[in-house]
Amino acid sequence: MGDVVGLVRVRSSEDEIKNSLGKALDLIGFKPKGPVKSVDIKVNLCYYWHASTGYTTDPRVVDGIIDCVRERYGMGTRIRIVEADGTAMRTKHSFLMLGYEKLAKEKSVELFNLSQDETSQEKVCVNGREIAFQIPQSLLKSDLFINVPKLKIMRDTKITCALKNVYGCIASPRKIVYHPILNEAIVGINKILHPDLTIVDGLVALGRFPIQLGLIMVSRDPFSADWIASQIMGFNPSKIKFLKIAMKEKLGDLEGVKTSGENMITFKRIFPKGNFFSSKRWWDIQLGLFRLYSKVVNDVVPPMLEKDMKS
Amino acid sequence: MVNVGIIGLGHMGRLHMMNCLHMEGVKITAAADQSKIGLRKAKSFGIKNVYEDYHDLLNNSLNLDAVVISLPNFLHLESIQLALEAGFDVFVEKPMANTLDECRKIVKWVEKSGRKFMIGHCMRFIDATEKMKAIADLGQIGDLQVVTLEQILNGPFAHGAVPTPVPEWWFDPKKAGGGVLLDLGYHLVDLFRFFLGEDSHVLFSCFDYKFNLPMEDGAILLLRSSESDVKGIINAGWYQKSVFPEYNFRMILHGNAGYISSDDLVPRNIYLHAVEEGMKNLLRKVVGKRIKPLSYSYYYEAYYKELQHFFDCIMNDSNPSVSATDGLKTVEIIEEAYRNHGKSQFALKEA
Repeated sequence: MGDVVGLVRVRSSEDEIKNSLGKALDLIGFKPKGPVKSVDIKVNLCYYWHASTGYTTDPRVVDGIIDCVRERYGMGTRIRIVEADGTAMRTKHSFLMLGYEKLAKEKSVELFNLSQDETSQEKVCVNGREIAFQIPQSLLKSDLFINVPKLKIMRDTKITCALKNVYGCIASPRKIVYHPILNEAIVGINKILHPDLTIVDGLVALGRFPIQLGLIMVSRDPFSADWIASQIMGFNPSKIKFLKIAMKEKLGDLEGVKTSGENMITFKRIFPKGNFFSSKRWWDIQLGLFRLYSKVVNDVVPPMLEKDMKS
Repeated sequence: MVNVGIIGLGHMGRLHMMNCLHMEGVKITAAADQSKIGLRKAKSFGIKNVYEDYHDLLNNSLNLDAVVISLPNFLHLESIQLALEAGFDVFVEKPMANTLDECRKIVKWVEKSGRKFMIGHCMRFIDATEKMKAIADLGQIGDLQVVTLEQILNGPFAHGAVPTPVPEWWFDPKKAGGGVLLDLGYHLVDLFRFFLGEDSHVLFSCFDYKFNLPMEDGAILLLRSSESDVKGIINAGWYQKSVFPEYNFRMILHGNAGYISSDDLVPRNIYLHAVEEGMKNLLRKVVGKRIKPLSYSYYYEAYYKELQHFFDCIMNDSNPSVSATDGLKTVEIIEEAYRNHGKSQFALKEA
């Protein structure tokens, strides 16, 4: 069953971010399943790129979430900001470089690298294919798991938002191994890990270029959030492969998906939609032609573009 | 034939290795790197003698004439010393060393050894740099007044087509020796010296720490040449997300009679330029001529040209245009900028 997706327009002052978060939670009538003593906030720190590039979760949004959590569930709530290492990104550096160490100190919250957690291997079947994941165990124990993705286009999957950010919880850093089956892997990990709440940071979103979209989007259901997010980004959600697989695998259901609050058109109108030149197809064509050229002509390939240097 | 050993097969080392493979009169006989992936790559190019420890390369490869060193900054001093002692000509990536004291030692070792020695000041070898220098030297823009140089990229944090982690030494100020000023800023300081041909001093330096790292990720310097009083404005940054082949770099020479900007001399559209140059190389290949390696990228081509210059100097017994003293003087200015950082800010506030 899909869920309501709350859309709130926000300017970037810290007070307004916090107020907008509260407003967005009220729009969907969010109530946790039980008492909340521990909260995990999963941010998206995919690489060492500042929040203003549209790639990484803005610490000001997390700051607002921490205030909201404390207001609603008490000052004694244990809060962790969590992220796992990526193929190229190391969480310890991202926490420092993107302002999370400073935030954690100011707010007295914990920073936690999911790649250093106790893990268990779990296998799921998606599209008839068995996929194994290293699952950080402590994430399964939190009372409230908040998913805080960005709103952005991506060459490989067209969009990346709520479901893809959960993929970032996989403990093993070399997530690139899943790239040949990325759509299935996104659905697979979401069959194991279920955020209680998704708060999309659309303050700065990323289309062909970054844009100050001023959007906070919330939902209990990451599939519903992605369904709406893809429309804002100019895609037909029924053509997003991992959303199609999610529906087939009963992870997502269109029934009940609706918006509340601001009209989605407001954001859709200004979002810089992707085009052929930002697509995976164009990237593959360029890279393919370049590699063919270097092979035929025997020219030097800059290490930046080498394909066989995987560690 | 110049027999070469490649020491260090990280990003720059692999580029130098591939460039060497395309040069006439140059043969790579050995390569060293701690990483098995790098060594596997070297072997795939037919390099038989590969070592996990570069000391073994220096001790065992008696048929070598020269080495190309692309190790992390903190290993430059020792590797240069050992290579010179072993009697090899040396090409080393910039910076020559992390500190002025280390650079002074290297200058002495180079003089004592009598070997050819060159540092990778690749930006001098960009076509636009050479053209701008020639125009300024002919007096076509009158007397030079101000030189503006800027390079703002991701630096060591650049993201490749296949994602790989940034080497840990870049996060350690003792091992890296500094931040963006010693990395990208180094080239700009060298270019100022190159255009002026004089010694220079730091009037003002200002650093940014946008990424909260223990080293600067943004550096703005104001330099002054010692004799002609020309000013240099240096603007270097690691903070900008950059994706290959984008390249945020420019040089402007302002004179009394006019100006020259590298923006007018480099290809307007890097993609079209790549296609044009690629077609030319394809044609060269078809008619059996030698290709111009890396000509599809005006700045990557400079890496080929600098290394070719080094080997030409060995083959012709001439002196490389970039000397150990150039490395020393560049690091001297950078250390002055680091040293004066606080003072300059204080002076500004007082004013």
